[in-house]
Amino acid sequence: MGGVFHAAILFLVAAGLQLVFGVQKIFNLACGSCYALGAYTGISAVAFFTGHGGSPALFVIPLALGGLAAGLVGLVVERGLLRFVYDRDETFQLLLTFALVLMLEDLIRLTWGTAPATTGGLYLAYGQVRLLGAAVPVYNLIVIAASLAIALGMGFMLTRTAFGRIIRAAADNREMAEALGVDMRSVYARVFTLGTMLGTLGGALVIPATAAMSEMGIELIVEAFAVVVIGGLGSMRGAFLGALVVGVLRSMAISVYPELEMLLIYLIVIAVLLWRPRGLFGAPAA
Amino acid sequence: MAATTRREFLKVAGAAATVGAVGFPAVARGQAKPGVPSDPVKIGVLAIRAGIAAPVGQAGLRGTEWWVERVNKAGGILGRPVQLVVEEESTPKDTVERYRKLILQDKVEVVIGGISTGVTLALGPVAEEMEVPWLSWDGTTQKGVEETMPNPKWAFRSVDNEVEAIVAGQLTPKYFKGIKTVAGIGNDYSYGHDCWETYQAVLKRYIPDVKFVLELFPKLGVTDFTSHIAAIQQAKPDLLMCSFWSGDATIIMKQAAAVGLFKGMKGVFTTAGGVHDSLKKEFTPEGLLLGYNTMYFDDPKGSPLLKQFVREYKAKYNEYPAYECDHAYFDIESYRVAVEKAYATTKKWPSKAEVVKALEGIEVDSLSGKRSWRADHVQMCNFYQGVTTHKNGYDFVTIDPIEVVSTKTAMKPAGAKLIEWINGWKI
Repeated sequence: MGGVFHAAILFLVAAGLQLVFGVQKIFNLACGSCYALGAYTGISAVAFFTGHGGSPALFVIPLALGGLAAGLVGLVVERGLLRFVYDRDETFQLLLTFALVLMLEDLIRLTWGTAPATTGGLYLAYGQVRLLGAAVPVYNLIVIAASLAIALGMGFMLTRTAFGRIIRAAADNREMAEALGVDMRSVYARVFTLGTMLGTLGGALVIPATAAMSEMGIELIVEAFAVVVIGGLGSMRGAFLGALVVGVLRSMAISVYPELEMLLIYLIVIAVLLWRPRGLFGAPAA
Repeated sequence: MAATTRREFLKVAGAAATVGAVGFPAVARGQAKPGVPSDPVKIGVLAIRAGIAAPVGQAGLRGTEWWVERVNKAGGILGRPVQLVVEEESTPKDTVERYRKLILQDKVEVVIGGISTGVTLALGPVAEEMEVPWLSWDGTTQKGVEETMPNPKWAFRSVDNEVEAIVAGQLTPKYFKGIKTVAGIGNDYSYGHDCWETYQAVLKRYIPDVKFVLELFPKLGVTDFTSHIAAIQQAKPDLLMCSFWSGDATIIMKQAAAVGLFKGMKGVFTTAGGVHDSLKKEFTPEGLLLGYNTMYFDDPKGSPLLKQFVREYKAKYNEYPAYECDHAYFDIESYRVAVEKAYATTKKWPSKAEVVKALEGIEVDSLSGKRSWRADHVQMCNFYQGVTTHKNGYDFVTIDPIEVVSTKTAMKPAGAKLIEWINGWKI
């Protein structure tokens, strides 16, 4: 069950990564830092809310709003930086997002300091239930449900709405979409912001269960890579399945043979790369 | 390339912060004593500023800056104002380069700092080669539990890494009766492994039939321990020993509370006092054994110096200080006292070798009380551990009763082998 909670968070970050890569062909290394930024913003939003007499039982609302608001940094990054490098070599784009990793980490340290930050004991505000013989915090179930809802919502948006069709068209063939009158500037800005928001929301939602540290993004990005490789670059279904595989297997490994924890994930990554290099749901090569 | 840019940035920021906090314009120019130059005495500082240990590095730097402010207000060392030159501690290779830069370019009289043993293990031999005293805050020159530099001339090291595991091992049977099975969790690097190995050795001396049923070593930086906690629940030990010292201590405490782990299990947190004010009452139970390393901020028997420091630290940073402040304060204060001691005989500013001689065996008042340098250049001090309680005016746990254990009994003597020494105890 712990593994599923972890997978739910991992899915949000990986989905953001996939969305941006699918449409803009940019591998956003900074998605881990956005995750950390969302965590800190969520903590500040909750502190503000409870500090102004908000009921602790409603803390998830400011938490989620804080996380989503932090996602607006995506708009600033896309309009202010990324749009200048779309025509450059991919190396430039990678370097730029890596620079963002360093900048966001320092920004977090300047704003919130270096000491770990938490939302105190709010994690326990909803109590716990017994599931399959183990005590599970209710908050974990809320996050898992929210993540599932977002997965379904994303699926619906991509397949059933006009914006989703435009996104898929743009992902498929940018020139053709542009020729048909799609304003790619606006699509890129919206997609990147949405992708960032998924990451910052993930960071905000995880934080009651843990503590925010400025380098928490680095830890997560490694796992997000594994998810993306297993699931297939650019695929939403891949992000979902990949997150589940990584989250649950890691958890099982710790119970059975702790030394295998991370090794197992990499073994699966290697296996996928050998037998299905494009990942489980990766698009076939053109 | 990106790393260089950031380093430059931090260097500038660090220099700016130093000048801002303790720059000379603000210093009351003391009258230099006869035979003492009137220019400022430069002290090099190595502080971790990024990553997991950043809060620890920050605490050390804050303790140092507080000291500089006080000493400069009082006229400096022998009338010479003190100027800090702050550099970043990062990887061993880069830190060694910055260490050389402090000596060759900035021409500092002494270098203070160093937390990660990975780094300080590399700094030790360089200090010997450069012939400038180096006083480590928290880093040793140990490889595992073995000392690599038994008789250094210029390097002064922190207490041995495993002292808090020894103290916790000694206190475990005193506070928790009938312990038969024990699980351990620590970070997957030398500190985590050494603490666990040492704790087991000590506990076996007191409870010969104790069984160690599970050991977990998640890597440093992990923020999700729900699976580890599930594994601990399955193993059903009487007691869990944990040597986490950074934000991960807070996280495991919270995730343990979420499943009620400590309802039926005892807990020993050897080093979590490093993040003590994040251990909120809501998720940190009473009755755990908790270690604060060498300084306990709320010690009712604490000196007026400690009380003033805690008060001003809280006012300035809105936090309660942890032990690294004390290591840092002790180092720089011992340097001042050593210089003044040497001056008493030489009547001029002492050479670096004379300072080293004066440092050996010196005892000074630090924040936590009396601390000293052993003749083989290892810190001697007290360790504070105790049982967590909610009966206080804070929103986090404190300890009561407070156990104060000296390194005289909890650290291997100079030249001894750790496990042999533990196995030789008369109990």
